[in-house]
Parts: sequence; structure tokens; C-alpha cells
Amino acid sequence: MRLPVSVGRAQAEFNMTPMIDVVFLLIIFFLVSSHLAKQEVHLDLPLPAAVTGEKRVDDQAPRLTINVAPQGRLLLAGRRVQPDELRQRFQQQLDRDGPDVEVVIRGDRTVPYGQVEPVMLACAEAGIWNVTFSVVHPQDAQQ
Amino acid sequence: MKRPSVFSGRRENVEIKMTPMIDVVFLLLVFFVWTASFQVVENILPGRLSEVTGSEPTPVDQVPPPEEDFDHVVIRIRWVVGAPKWQVNDAEMPTLVALRERLSAISSIKSDAPVILHPDAEVPLGHVIDAFDSARVAGFEQVQFAATPSI
Repeated sequence: MRLPVSVGRAQAEFNMTPMIDVVFLLIIFFLVSSHLAKQEVHLDLPLPAAVTGEKRVDDQAPRLTINVAPQGRLLLAGRRVQPDELRQRFQQQLDRDGPDVEVVIRGDRTVPYGQVEPVMLACAEAGIWNVTFSVVHPQDAQQ
Repeated sequence: MKRPSVFSGRRENVEIKMTPMIDVVFLLLVFFVWTASFQVVENILPGRLSEVTGSEPTPVDQVPPPEEDFDHVVIRIRWVVGAPKWQVNDAEMPTLVALRERLSAISSIKSDAPVILHPDAEVPLGHVIDAFDSARVAGFEQVQFAATPSI
């Protein structure tokens, strides 16, 4: 009696597991890289706490975010800037995006106001009156 | 030659290979851990700027937002011996609670009066935002920051 041979058919079966592995690895790679790109913009700072903070509306309004780190280091778009440069940068932004430009100040809560004031002064001198502060809820600030 | 029995072949087919399953489970675990956001939600406090003195004439195209003809509520914040001291229109406020009470009292009379924050340079930003927040909690709609024009 001749036995049926099923070996050849078994080898031709399509194994999905390695493909799923690779696809997941690619997804994770892209997620991680995009996450890191976001973190670069958002410096980890102990922000001031406020009860009346409003949720940010993610509209397409032109916005400039300035980080005021300890020792008064000013960071604009991940690059350190001097207070004298700010007015020029704001003016350029105004010329490009019009008068609706918003400046968001993300300041360390321990930084003296004297180191935040040059930013606000540069805004006023450039003609930007819409200045907002990044804050966290008091519950989050205690963590 | 002994033929393999039908039962032994069937048993082999039923065996579960654990390695690919563990691979996929770990990948899913990493995926969900990474996508979960542990970042604190950030809010914004909208502020406006106002000039303290009119020592320099303001150019026409840089006119600050028009202010109504109300009395201003000026909150001075001074830094005395490592602690903040508040003043509301030159009246001393010993604590933040007193400041909040005073602001609430003023707001109940005239909540549309513009509040101007004028902190000293040494005051930490956290205390400035406390005063800002207090004014908003009291119900003031316009809270502005004083900026001294550079010469």
C-alpha cells in the first residue's frame, strides 16, 4: 500500500508570525520616533499651578513657544536664544503670520519674574499682545 | 518498518508553539506601554500686556488693545526676605488668602475692571501665576501684565 505524501504541501504553507513581528516592529519604530520628536519641543519643566487654566485649543493659529528654564535660559524651537534676539524673532513671525501670533511662555515656576519679563517686553515691543502661560492643574503639580 | 501511528501524528499537530506567541505578546505590550501617555496635561492662562508708563510714545501700528475707562486694579507683588508680599492698589495683603478675599470683594462691585499684575523681578514665576490665577478665580475678565518699556 502506498502512503499519501503531504510533506510538500506543508512546506508551502505561508507563515504569518514573522511578518506580524516585523510589521509590529515597524509600527513601534515609527511611534517611538514621532514621540521623541514631540518631546524635543516640550522640555520637561516644573510648570506653575493654576486652577483656572484653560484647555489648549489645537487650532492652526500661529504660535511660538518659549521655554524659560532654570537660570533664565531661554529656549525657542529647541535652540537657546538671547533676550536681545527675541524681538527680531517675534517681528519675523509677525511679518510672516500676521497679527494673530500667540506667544506661549513655558516657564519654570522657580524662575524669577525678571527673567520672564524680557520675553514679555520683547512681545510688547514687537506688537504681540497675545501672550499665554503654560500651567498645570494643582493636583498634577504636586506629583 | 514500523509505520507511525495515526494518533502520534495528530498529537504533533496539536502542539502549541509558544515562541511566536510570546513574541507577539511582548510586542503588543511594548506597543501599548509606549502609546499610553504619562505626560501631565498642560493648560494655558491667557494674558495680555499693558505698558506701565507712557515715557515712550507708542507707534501707531503698535497700539495696545484698547482699555475701557475704568479704574485699574493694580496688584504689586514684592519679594521680601524670601517671601512674596502682595499689594492691591497700595493696600498691603499679608497672605494670598487675603489677596483672594480682596479681589473677590472688588470683583463683586466691578468685575470688568482691568487687573494689572506688577511683580518685582525677584518674585518666582509660580507666585506671579498664583496672583494671576487668584484674579481669574475672583471673576476678573481682563488680567494684564505690566511691562516697563525699555529706553
